[in-house]
Amino acid sequence: MDLHPSPEDRAFRQETRRWLEASVPRGELKTPGERRAWHQQLYEAGYIGMGWPKEYGGQAASPMRQAIVSDELARINAPPSMNQLGISIVGPTIIVHGTEAQKRRYLKKILTAEELWCQLYSEPNAGSDLASLRTRAEDRGDHFGVNGQKIWTSGGVNADWGLLLARTDTAAPKHKGISCFLLSMRQPGVEVRPLRQLTGSAHFAEVFMTDARAEKADQIGRLGQGWEIAQTTLSYERGGNSLARVTRYAAAFGQLVRAARELRRDGRPLLDDPRVRARIGGIYAELEVQRYAALRVLSALEKGESPGPASSITKLSYSEFEKRYQELALEILGPWGQLTDGLPHDFLEIDTSSGEPGSWAHAFLWSRAGTIYAGSSEIQKNVIADRVLQLPKEPRADRAAPSPRSP
Amino acid sequence: VNFAFSDDQQLLRNAARAFLDERCTSAIVRTLWDDPRGESDALWKEMARLGWLGLALPESEGGSGLGMVETAILLEEMGRAAWPGPYLPTVLAGHALARAGSAAQTARWLPAIATGGARASVAFLDADLDWRPEAAQTRAEPAPGGFALTGVKRFVSWGHVADLLLIPARTPGGLGLFAVEPASAAGLSLAPAPAMDLGTRWATLRLEGVPVTADALVGAPGQAGPLLEDLLRRGAVGAAAEMLGAARRCLDMSVGYVKVREQFGQPIGSFQAIRHRCAEMLMEVENAHAATYYAAWALDAEAEDAAVAASVAKSYVGDAARKVCGEAIQVHGGIGFTWEYDLQLYFKRAKALEATYGDGDYHRELIVRHVAP
Repeated sequence: MDLHPSPEDRAFRQETRRWLEASVPRGELKTPGERRAWHQQLYEAGYIGMGWPKEYGGQAASPMRQAIVSDELARINAPPSMNQLGISIVGPTIIVHGTEAQKRRYLKKILTAEELWCQLYSEPNAGSDLASLRTRAEDRGDHFGVNGQKIWTSGGVNADWGLLLARTDTAAPKHKGISCFLLSMRQPGVEVRPLRQLTGSAHFAEVFMTDARAEKADQIGRLGQGWEIAQTTLSYERGGNSLARVTRYAAAFGQLVRAARELRRDGRPLLDDPRVRARIGGIYAELEVQRYAALRVLSALEKGESPGPASSITKLSYSEFEKRYQELALEILGPWGQLTDGLPHDFLEIDTSSGEPGSWAHAFLWSRAGTIYAGSSEIQKNVIADRVLQLPKEPRADRAAPSPRSP
Repeated sequence: VNFAFSDDQQLLRNAARAFLDERCTSAIVRTLWDDPRGESDALWKEMARLGWLGLALPESEGGSGLGMVETAILLEEMGRAAWPGPYLPTVLAGHALARAGSAAQTARWLPAIATGGARASVAFLDADLDWRPEAAQTRAEPAPGGFALTGVKRFVSWGHVADLLLIPARTPGGLGLFAVEPASAAGLSLAPAPAMDLGTRWATLRLEGVPVTADALVGAPGQAGPLLEDLLRRGAVGAAAEMLGAARRCLDMSVGYVKVREQFGQPIGSFQAIRHRCAEMLMEVENAHAATYYAAWALDAEAEDAAVAASVAKSYVGDAARKVCGEAIQVHGGIGFTWEYDLQLYFKRAKALEATYGDGDYHRELIVRHVAP
C-alpha cells in the first residue's frame, strides 16, 4: 500500500494546474462559439479523450492521469468541455466494436466536438428493463428503416449523431434481437423535442424516429450483438470521474461551512450547534470515504484490472451519498438553499456534479437524478447481487421471453 | 497510488486467517467466554512466536518495525474470528513506550511484550465517558519520591490481565501518563465490569493514593496530551479494523446462508428484499475497508490528514459495522437470534468497539474541529 502519488503524477498535476490557471476562461461561457473555443483549447492541450489510444487521437493516458485532469478541472471550477457522451461512451464503443472505416469517419470529429453525439437507448417502456426496447430497425436493402421513440436522451437537442439500440429481429429472445447503429440526427425522419425535467431546464430530449435512415455502413458489430455492446458501454458510464466528483463535493462543503458560520439559531452560529456539528462531521466523513474508495478504484485501474461489476458498488455508493449530502445542505441553508437567484454573495453558486454551474437548489434537485440514470440504485443492487455476490437469480419470466412487438 | 496490499502484507493476512481459522474456532471462543480470565495464554504465546505481538515495535526492542497497516490486517482477522484478548490495548501501550518511554521503561517492557511475557492496557476513560485526554480527572499528587495516584478509571480493556497499565493523571505540571504494574501497586484494585460481549473484558480501576516513583512517568509531566491523542487515533483505526473483520464475517455468513435457506420453494437469496439488503451490506463493507486502510496508511505515512482519517474511519466503520452485523441477523431470521448461532459473536464485538476509543459523535466532533476550525 502506498497512497502517495508518484513523483511523475505529482509533476503532471502541477503542470496541468499551471496550464489551467493560465488558460481557463473567466466567467461563464455564454455562446456556443465560446464553448467551442474552450473545448478546442483543451483538445489542443491534450486534455480531451486522454484515455483513447494514440492512433485515434488520444493520449493513451493512464487512468490516474485522466483522473488528475478531471480533478484539476473540478478544482478550478472550469467550464465543461463539449461532447462528453461522445468522448466517454460513443468513441470507446466505436474503438472496440467499430470497423476501420467507421473509426476513420467518426472518431476525430468526436474528439474535436465537430460532431456532437447522444445515446439513443431508453424508451418510454424500456427504462431499467432496457432490453424490452421496441424501436425497430428494418432491413430495406441498402439501409435500415428506423421507427420508434427514445426518451431521456442527454444532449439530444444539439446532437448531430446518436448511438442507437434498435430491434432487428422480433423472433429472437428479447436480449438477442437488438442491434447497434450510428444514426444521423440531422434527417427528416428524426424529430427531437426537449424534455424539461423537474429542475426547470431541459437536459434531456425525446426523440421520435419515423422511417429514419440508418446506413448499412453505420451498423456497429453484428446483427443481434447490440445488447452485448450496450453492456460494455454501460460499464464505461459507471467508471470513473470519482475523484473529480469528490473534489466538487469538497468545494461545496467549504461553502456549507461558511454558511453555517453566518446563519444563526438561538443567538449563536449554526456551526456551534452540536446537532449541526455532528451532522456536518458525519457528512464530511462520508465525503472522505468516497475519496478513499475512489483512490482504491483508481489503484485497481492503474494495475489494468477492470472493475467490472464492482463499479456498481461505486455508483450506488456515490449517488446515494449525494442525495444525503444535498438534503443536509438544504437543511442547513434553510430557505436560502431554495433560492434559484439572488443568493447573498457568501453563499453563491456551487458546482454540481452534472457539470453545470448552478444554485444549491439546482444541485439538490439534480441529486435525485443520480440514483436513476445510468442504471438506478435498484439495478445496481441487482448487478451486485448477481455478479459480485453471486446470489441465486431472481425468478424472472423474461429471460427467454419473445421480443416485444412494436406498438 | 497503490491501494492493494503488498505481497508481504497479503502473506501476513493469509497466515493470520489460516492460524485463527484453525486455532480460534467459534467453539474455542465460546469456551473462553465462560472462562473467568477470558483469554488463552497458549494462544497469546503462539501469537508471540508468529511475531504478531512485536509486529509494530522497533527492531531494536525485539519487534519487526512494521506499521499500522500490518497491525490493522491482523486486527481485521481477529475481528473476523471474534478472538478475545488484549491485542489492541497491548499494541497501544507498546507504541506509547516506544514513542515516549525512558530507556529503562522500553528495556523493561518492550521485549517482554514482543515475546508474549507481558500484556498491557491504557486507562483512557473516566466515569463521565469524556474521551478527550484533557478531561482526565484522576490526580497525581506529589509525594515523597514521586506521586500518589487517586481516582477511578472505567472500561479499561483487559485491565484484569494487564501486567502494565498506562494511566493518565493530572500532575501539578499538567497531564501525565504513568506506567504502573498493578500486581505490585498498593491501593490499586481492578473489578470486572461484565458486559454483553463476553469476548470484551472491561475492568474498573480504582486508585487510592497509589504510590508511584517519578520514573513511572512516560514522557515529561504535562506532555501526555498529544501522546494520548496519538494512542486514541491508533486505537480508533485498530478498532475500525476489528469491526471491519466482524462485519465482513457477517456478510460472508449471510451470503452463504441465503443461498441455501429455502422458503416458498426457493432460496431466499433469490428474493429482491434479501438481495438488495446483501448488496447494501457489501457496499458498506467495501467502504469500511477503504476507510480503515486509508487511515492506517495515513498514520504510517504521517500524512497531513492522518488525524481526520482516523476519525473518519472510526465513525464511519462504527456505523457500517453496526448496520451490517444487524442486517445479518435480519436476513438469517430466527436462527440468527439464537445463542448457538455465531452471528452474536460478531454483532456484540462490533457494538463493544463502536463505543470505545472514541464513539462516533466524539470523532465527528474531532472532524469538525479539523475541517471547520
